[in-house]
Amino acid sequence: MSTQHAIVARGLSKRFRTGRTHIEVLKSVDFEALHGEVTMVMGPSGSGKSTLVASLSGLLKPDAGSVSAMGEDIWDYRPGRIDRFRLDHCGFIFQGFNLFPALTALQQVEIILKYKGYSRAEARSKAATALMEVDLEARMNSRPSEMSGGEKQRVAIARAIAKDPQLLFADEPTSALDGENGQIVIKLLQRAAKQFGAAVICVTHDPRLEVYADRIIHLEDGCVTSDRRADAGAQPELPPHAKPEFVGV
Amino acid sequence: MSLALATLIYEWRRYTAAVVALAFSGLLILAQVGMFVGIVQGATATIDRSRASIMILPSKMESLINSGGGALPGRIQPLIYLNPQVIEVASMDNDGGRWMNMPAPGKKQVTTYINVNMVDTRADAATLPVDFPEEIRVALLEPYAVVIDESQLARLGVKLGDKASLNGKTVWVRGILHGYPDVNNASITMSRDTLRLLGLATKDGKTGPLMVRIKDPAMSPMVRDQLNAVSKGAYKAWSREDLSKANERAIMGEQIIGIFLTFSVFLGFLIGVGITSQTLRGAILSSIKEFASLRALGVSMGSLRWIVLELSVWVGLAGLIATALFTCGVYLLARSGGLPMGFPVPWVAGVSALLIVISIASGLLSLGVLKKSQPADLLR
Repeated sequence: MSTQHAIVARGLSKRFRTGRTHIEVLKSVDFEALHGEVTMVMGPSGSGKSTLVASLSGLLKPDAGSVSAMGEDIWDYRPGRIDRFRLDHCGFIFQGFNLFPALTALQQVEIILKYKGYSRAEARSKAATALMEVDLEARMNSRPSEMSGGEKQRVAIARAIAKDPQLLFADEPTSALDGENGQIVIKLLQRAAKQFGAAVICVTHDPRLEVYADRIIHLEDGCVTSDRRADAGAQPELPPHAKPEFVGV
Repeated sequence: MSLALATLIYEWRRYTAAVVALAFSGLLILAQVGMFVGIVQGATATIDRSRASIMILPSKMESLINSGGGALPGRIQPLIYLNPQVIEVASMDNDGGRWMNMPAPGKKQVTTYINVNMVDTRADAATLPVDFPEEIRVALLEPYAVVIDESQLARLGVKLGDKASLNGKTVWVRGILHGYPDVNNASITMSRDTLRLLGLATKDGKTGPLMVRIKDPAMSPMVRDQLNAVSKGAYKAWSREDLSKANERAIMGEQIIGIFLTFSVFLGFLIGVGITSQTLRGAILSSIKEFASLRALGVSMGSLRWIVLELSVWVGLAGLIATALFTCGVYLLARSGGLPMGFPVPWVAGVSALLIVISIASGLLSLGVLKKSQPADLLR
């Protein structure tokens, strides 16, 4: 497991205006994430988890502070360059699956690879590989309407990991899923970290996922209240190249 | 298959309003064009379908539409025979007159001005339309016999075998034509002999336009040029196709028709852009989260704009197909009612281009919605 820093953020602050008042959502937050680790960001609603992830991933500019991702100070870039940075290095998994209803699983993954610059054939073969990684080879030609919630989230994961991102952001990836599917999804995220060395940053409410984390950061009222490494013994570490077990999805 | 096309096919119901709006915009214009061209075709049917390959018109006359028929000095007719290709030269002495039917008791009296078309009754005559059945030709051999298109019977208040008065002289309806409607004025057709008997033939040494039959119709452009080369400005020779196109152009250039069509184009554009852009906006809004997730994964706003524009072009093409189907339906409906319609290629091309312009304009108008595709909003 690499211990190289994937993201280092210093002094992140963000205020939102509501009517005449301002709400300070992030209060000078420092954050680090390492390659090959699953970092969980936990905390109650409104604690600033999502804003933190949005700032770390180049989606929402913080009012103050800096984010160095993959050694690049992303908020110094123009918006177009930040888009390119995300295309090259970031994968996202959202609570809603956000798949285009008209596209098959294969096409959902393929489209993003085409934008990354792969040829049609390369995109197709990489997309197929990514879908196999999430054990969806039998569903490649299915559209979202023909898939279960768990399968849809796995397509979203395949879409996120197909371009080999070094940073993988997940926002409540399991909250729309039942326990079994939730477990499959978090195991896939864990494998992305362990096997491919990605830095996985996962926002969640779900305490059951804690066991899969290498590091757990608690956020409350825009401040980090605790930052602890998971007990190595308690974590269900996957053996190298092992696939997560898929149960009845 | 691109995302835009896949979306249009899969979610076609969502885009139906836009496609139908585009189709009606196209139909609004094409149906009018078709009708106006149909009027010309109806008015000049006996010439368009004659055996003559070349028409001789007065030199300043640019078409047969609203030109009063035009008169040529009688001495031109023998001059045309000097060309060795020419077999027959016949004057088209069409005229007009006051028509009155002789209604049965209780029926309506019709008094109207009508166009009188004239044909020669020899089997191979230049002025005899090629699709006149033999029995019509024979019927016209009878003095004072007239034939009328089926679509004009009610308008003229007669039926087969009836008699009527033309300029105070009695004529007999001896045949019914098919495919010779005249939307503009009612018209009847008679033989040259009957025309003379009725005193309608052009007088004072003048003839109507001349219709020229030549040995090889394929040579008509060459013969036309040869005739024009020796005309010394006394006349102008036209091939039948040229004249037909000039007639179409002339009616489309009529001011009132121009106003109709300009208004229709404006209305079509407005309706098309209004409905199509709203439909596109709605469709994009419904997929805004999917677009936002693409943005999150690094797809640029420019690329998303291209997706929307591509989608709008596909919607335009679907609208074009729908326009073709609708117009085809209207055409068949009109034909079943005996009404001719014509669709000149430049107008069809123009309307096609307009529909694509409408759809692209709608796409451009709906681009603003993409601003709502903020990936940060997905992190909730």
